Amino acid sequence: MNVESADQARQDPEYRKALVELLYQLADDELCLGHRDSEWLGVAPDIEGDVAFSSIAQDEVGHAVFHLERLHELGEPDPDFLAFSRGPTERRNAVLVERPNGDWAQTILRHFLYDVFDDVRAESLLASSYRPLAQGMAKIRREEYYHLLHLKMWVIRLAQGGGEARRRLEQALAEVWPEVGGLFSWGEGEAELLRHGLIQCRSDELMHRWAERVKPIFREAELLWPGLPPQPELQGRSGEHTQDLAELIRTMSEVYSSDPAARW
Amino acid sequence: MDGQKARADYDVFEVFVQKTQADFHVHVGSVVAPSPDVALMTARENFLRREKAVNLWIVPRGEIHATPYDEPDWFAREMDRKYREVGGYSENGRLWKMYRERALHLEDIVRDLEETPGRGEGGEEG
Amino acid sequence: MNQKERHTRFMERVERGEKIEATDWMPEEYRKLLLKLIHMHGVSEIMGAFPEKEWVPKAPTLKRKLGIMAKVQDEVGHGQLLLRVAEDLAAPLGKTREDLIEDLIEGRVKFHNVFHMESPTWADAGVIGWLVDGAAIINQAALLNTSYGPYARVLKRICAEESFHMQHGENIILALAGGTKMQRRMLQEAVNRWWESLLFFFGPVEVTPAARRMLDYKIRRKTNEELRQQFLNKYVPRIRSLGLTIPDPDLFYDEREGKWHYTPPDWDKFGEIVKHNRGPKSEERLRLRRFAHEEQRWVREAMVRSRELQTV
Repeated sequence: MNVESADQARQDPEYRKALVELLYQLADDELCLGHRDSEWLGVAPDIEGDVAFSSIAQDEVGHAVFHLERLHELGEPDPDFLAFSRGPTERRNAVLVERPNGDWAQTILRHFLYDVFDDVRAESLLASSYRPLAQGMAKIRREEYYHLLHLKMWVIRLAQGGGEARRRLEQALAEVWPEVGGLFSWGEGEAELLRHGLIQCRSDELMHRWAERVKPIFREAELLWPGLPPQPELQGRSGEHTQDLAELIRTMSEVYSSDPAARW
Repeated sequence: MDGQKARADYDVFEVFVQKTQADFHVHVGSVVAPSPDVALMTARENFLRREKAVNLWIVPRGEIHATPYDEPDWFAREMDRKYREVGGYSENGRLWKMYRERALHLEDIVRDLEETPGRGEGGEEG
Repeated sequence: MNQKERHTRFMERVERGEKIEATDWMPEEYRKLLLKLIHMHGVSEIMGAFPEKEWVPKAPTLKRKLGIMAKVQDEVGHGQLLLRVAEDLAAPLGKTREDLIEDLIEGRVKFHNVFHMESPTWADAGVIGWLVDGAAIINQAALLNTSYGPYARVLKRICAEESFHMQHGENIILALAGGTKMQRRMLQEAVNRWWESLLFFFGPVEVTPAARRMLDYKIRRKTNEELRQQFLNKYVPRIRSLGLTIPDPDLFYDEREGKWHYTPPDWDKFGEIVKHNRGPKSEERLRLRRFAHEEQRWVREAMVRSRELQTV
């Protein structure tokens, strides 16, 4: 049942296809969010926090690199090509993470909601039939520990701080909530992923696990729980995206595509 | 300073890093932070972006009590104290030679202990 | 001990090569000179993040993306270390981090000329990492034996990290220099753009009265011109070895004198830029800092308010 290497995965075209689809979801989520996080470099609300947040940005991009390398091993193009050359419809990230950062409250809240999801997802992948992924997830989860601690601290502090911070946090909640649901989707190939043991946990189960982790922190922050997130309008996992992603890709690949033959 | 804006000043926390559990915590610098929990959080990235560590302390600046720098006499040691140092007994080497033996140093003992496996740690480590 | 005796004793300590600490008695002049120097150094690191920051989202490979993020992060981190030193010096004057950043936004403290300039291409990010950092490293390495202990200690840490920055910058440049025609042209244009700023970076040739005092107090050990000569020594041969030209037809090394002759930068132009924040990018980058500091005061206020609720 377990697949120990890329070579082995490539021997079963159906398995490989489902796996590739999954890895794109993981890579694209991390790359988009890491890119958005990096936009805070130099402009976070205080200098110590600026440095700390940049490490989180680097970790996310680093995790994206891990997944892109796994894709390359499976015969997909090289990681740089995948990061810089694919168009929006080829991307599998949830729409939530392609959105611009908004203010600090929105950045923090989105990141927190994403990180809890990311941890729940990673946890569910520890038992994935694709062992290179399962092993990578164990490492990634260790790095995510600090992110969760950090983001949880921020959410609670901004909420407790009252005044403008709380008002902005509540506004951010109203703004991001309609798109949070897109995170939990495993895309059109969910049944295949389950059949191959690549994932062990259906998307609705993922959402419930996530909700059970988020609710206590909302309680501590005295934020009103809005109920489970609704189905989003756009299915990022199926390549449906907003203009924001198109712009993000355009920015990100500006230099790369000025001469794709060049080595940078 | 102008008294019009609300102040949002943070407190100063001194940062101490313990690299391994065989080491003591070492002072590396300071951060400003609104509270100790935030100070711990930011100290990690402000001081440990590359170095490894097993523990961090942050201490409110006001809790540090120190000797004055510009009173060097605080640390005055003017008289000969060779009697309490290894170097004060260098004649041992010469004396042992008379008995056809070498002077024994702590380093030799530590090295020999490290090189001989103890029965107590057999098994687990193979 | 009266003031004069204290001063004498202080100078004896400096002469003996002892380090001065934040809690020691020090002449007001020493404190002010140091504060001005380190404050400017600190805010320059903070502002120095911006020209490269523009290229963080556009870095052309994943390795470059991570490298430049880490590098700019380090710059902000260096700003943090230096500001902490400046804050401790400013504490007896009743000033905190908040005030030191406001001084920057309000134009009461200057930042290095290079960070007022444009960085319109990826090659500029490379040249900043290579030559601007190269100049900064020479400056900072020369300060390692400064008489002020807290400054010496953070500089040691900063210089250790700069050794990564040097490799990072050179790696970008070497890729461009060995690249396509377009990449080489981009690199040459960036060198042309930065050359004059780099010469100005070290400051005027003449030793001003304030610079003289800093040398007396052993805050600094080398003059501006000595550092500029060091920079030319180290970097002119390297720039040329890549087949790049330096936009100064009069630049040459005089073997007999043992020094470089160069066309001086336009001192007045850069003086204006630094003194009045009138460079091509001064306003825009100060706006970013204003956003970070003033428009997000609500975040810091909330953090301060919520600290009473924390139990650790």
